Amino acid sequence: MGLEQKVPEGILTTTLDSVINWGRANSTWPLLFGLACCAMEMIATGTARHDIARYGSELFRASPRQADLMIVSGRVSNKMAPVIKRIYDQMSAPKWVIAMGICASAGGPFNNYAIIQGVDKIIPVDVYVPGCPPRPESLLYALDKLREKQARESISADRLSQAEEQLAIEEIIPLGA
Amino acid sequence: MPLDVAPISRSYETQRTLNPPGIPAAAPLPTGETDDTRRIRERFGDDIGAAGLHNGNQVVYVKPAQLKALAAFLRADPQLQYETLIDVTSVDRSHLPLNGDDARFQAIYQFRSYTRNQHLTLVTNCEAAASPAPSADHNETLLPHIDSLTGVFRGADWPEREVYDLMGIQFDGHPDLRRILMPKNWPYHPLQKQTPLGGEEVPFTLTWDDPEFETLGAQILPAESAAPDLPPGMSRENMIINMGPHHPSTHGVLRLVVELDGERVVSIDPDLGFLHSGFEKTAEHKRYKDFVYYTDRMDYLSAMANNLGYCLTVEHMLGLEIPERAQVIRVIMVEMQRIASHLFWLATHVLDVSGTGMSLLMYATRERERILDLFEMVCGARLTVSYIRIGGVWQDLPKAFITELKDFIRVMPQKIREYEAMLTDAPLWQERLAGVGYISREDGLAMGLTGPMLRGSGVDWDLRRDRPYSGYEGYEFEVPTSDRGDCYGRYRVRMEEMRQSIRILQQAVDTLPSGLYKSNNRKVSAPPRAELDVSMEALIHHFKLMTEGFHVSPGFFYHGIEGSKGELGFFVYSDGSAKPYRLHVHGPSFNNLYAIDHISRGEMLSDVVTNIGSIDIVLGEVDR
Repeated sequence: MGLEQKVPEGILTTTLDSVINWGRANSTWPLLFGLACCAMEMIATGTARHDIARYGSELFRASPRQADLMIVSGRVSNKMAPVIKRIYDQMSAPKWVIAMGICASAGGPFNNYAIIQGVDKIIPVDVYVPGCPPRPESLLYALDKLREKQARESISADRLSQAEEQLAIEEIIPLGA
Repeated sequence: MPLDVAPISRSYETQRTLNPPGIPAAAPLPTGETDDTRRIRERFGDDIGAAGLHNGNQVVYVKPAQLKALAAFLRADPQLQYETLIDVTSVDRSHLPLNGDDARFQAIYQFRSYTRNQHLTLVTNCEAAASPAPSADHNETLLPHIDSLTGVFRGADWPEREVYDLMGIQFDGHPDLRRILMPKNWPYHPLQKQTPLGGEEVPFTLTWDDPEFETLGAQILPAESAAPDLPPGMSRENMIINMGPHHPSTHGVLRLVVELDGERVVSIDPDLGFLHSGFEKTAEHKRYKDFVYYTDRMDYLSAMANNLGYCLTVEHMLGLEIPERAQVIRVIMVEMQRIASHLFWLATHVLDVSGTGMSLLMYATRERERILDLFEMVCGARLTVSYIRIGGVWQDLPKAFITELKDFIRVMPQKIREYEAMLTDAPLWQERLAGVGYISREDGLAMGLTGPMLRGSGVDWDLRRDRPYSGYEGYEFEVPTSDRGDCYGRYRVRMEEMRQSIRILQQAVDTLPSGLYKSNNRKVSAPPRAELDVSMEALIHHFKLMTEGFHVSPGFFYHGIEGSKGELGFFVYSDGSAKPYRLHVHGPSFNNLYAIDHISRGEMLSDVVTNIGSIDIVLGEVDR
């Protein structure tokens, strides 16, 4: 019905959202950024056996401007926390965060003066990966989960502006009520 | 402005263990005498408090006024020739019963004579401060102080800064006494005993209204970071650039402040501590057997070696005999780990130097994955293995392990030849490495470098051969050295070390005896699971071991092993309870990284990257 009958054969129609999400999900470039033990497994994920290139994520970018995904791979110390926050702020939207391993997720075995108990206290996290360190397969599974999340997003309401909208709505409603 | 990071004291974390009467106790004084202690006594007389052997190490107590003179004497005297200061650490004895005139803080130095194959531990009391510390660092307690040894041993620089940072001991005459690991505006010294472990309360509740949740997130600092200072000695006349802590070729979260004249390096000031995780403080709150799991996470590229170094130290203090089979298994694991660590060094080094050359990363990690498979076979983990335990190893080798290992040993030499064919004679590789990062033998010794860094400068020393442990005296292998002193020399040393490790592996596989894989001493090593079903005694042992742990008699001991990056030393001070009173780790990367300023001066900026790769650092171990 409609448009499909008008266009010549061999042309498909779809929504802009699914095309863009398809592109984003298949070329999520991670930030070249390692913290501790988990970074070694992150590198192992990038090498031949585990081959992160199957996900289109083999291009680890050293510059936060060119990266879409921050993999927080390891424990976050008090001294490192402001740096991570700044790097995250430098990444351009849309951006996603994977907290790799228990230290980045919740502090892990290091509940002491030096380590922040989970990176989600300074930046928003999309996927948490358990393990100490997680195996490369776990990280790939986290990428799978991230793709599911990416597929649900829409460009009409960008993730960040969505949050702002949400905030604005909450502010407005009590006034009107 | 001091930070608002009031540490929380958690009763369930800091509970004292059940102790027999007389515990805790301070370390006993050394007994007996050796040639060296006799010689020191002759020269210094009454300034030596006690001297002799303690836990098999030579220990000398010296009065603080004579510390510097004694250190200079140790180095210069032709009968002593202690060329290197391996390590500086300290202990806060405020929780120990002390006599009236005993000082609260003790500084402990480890000296090594490579020519005479001797090790000496120097202990000295720190004088209490008479007036507030000049560098008003927001600390209410007055800092104790002691003479700095930087004038005698250049390598004392960073270890002394570390002691100042974590323990709060002032070193008089230190040229650059700043914090090294903690942020510069950190309000207290974490290793002092009155400072709690910190961290956050673990909420045991599911009700959001519970006041337990109020402490969540209380530990986070204000977002703005401290304004960066110009490191001392640097001039704004030159260009100052910042490498890291997020930089692809600093091998982790290392920050280098580089002063440049054009593209030539004038000086470098490394900024450490971005991965400081408080291992040493955590150890004071864990039972001996429980700290093994933390050692994995220090040098995460050679977890087995960390396990072994820690276990050997505690086992020596316990006087524990390790079964023959366990020792050979340990050697197999540690040598495999050395190869894995060197492969990773090679992969990242080549990646750094050649920019986009990914092929060697892929090849080297291909072989490394085989080693990780073997680790997985024995303990289920790839990286953080915790396989070597106090008393032996966790489990016996599975049946298929030896066959797989033999295949690996067969294949590996050919692979090393492949890597060398790609690199050794390649003009690009030589141009980037040869003559870059030169360090002389004398400088290397004065800076306290160890491992391939020292062997690459012509010092023929390997702890496996010269102070053997775990039965290394029974293996035939060579210690490769190079007189070049540059990155290329160190490259050749490490490549040859991989070959020698394969030789050791081959001998270990051939001579692997049958028997116990862990000690039969039930006070230290848990009984096998099957025994618990039939033996009440085994059940009691298991219960005691898991709830209380085992006690280590009061005293202290330093033991170093040859890790893949250099001398990996563990210093344990026991007060007789089931937890270490003080644990210090001598990470080889920490001391080796100190050389980065020296070897990079006058070279190009791109050579700094080569030098970092050539030093082979792991930040988990540098920052601990």
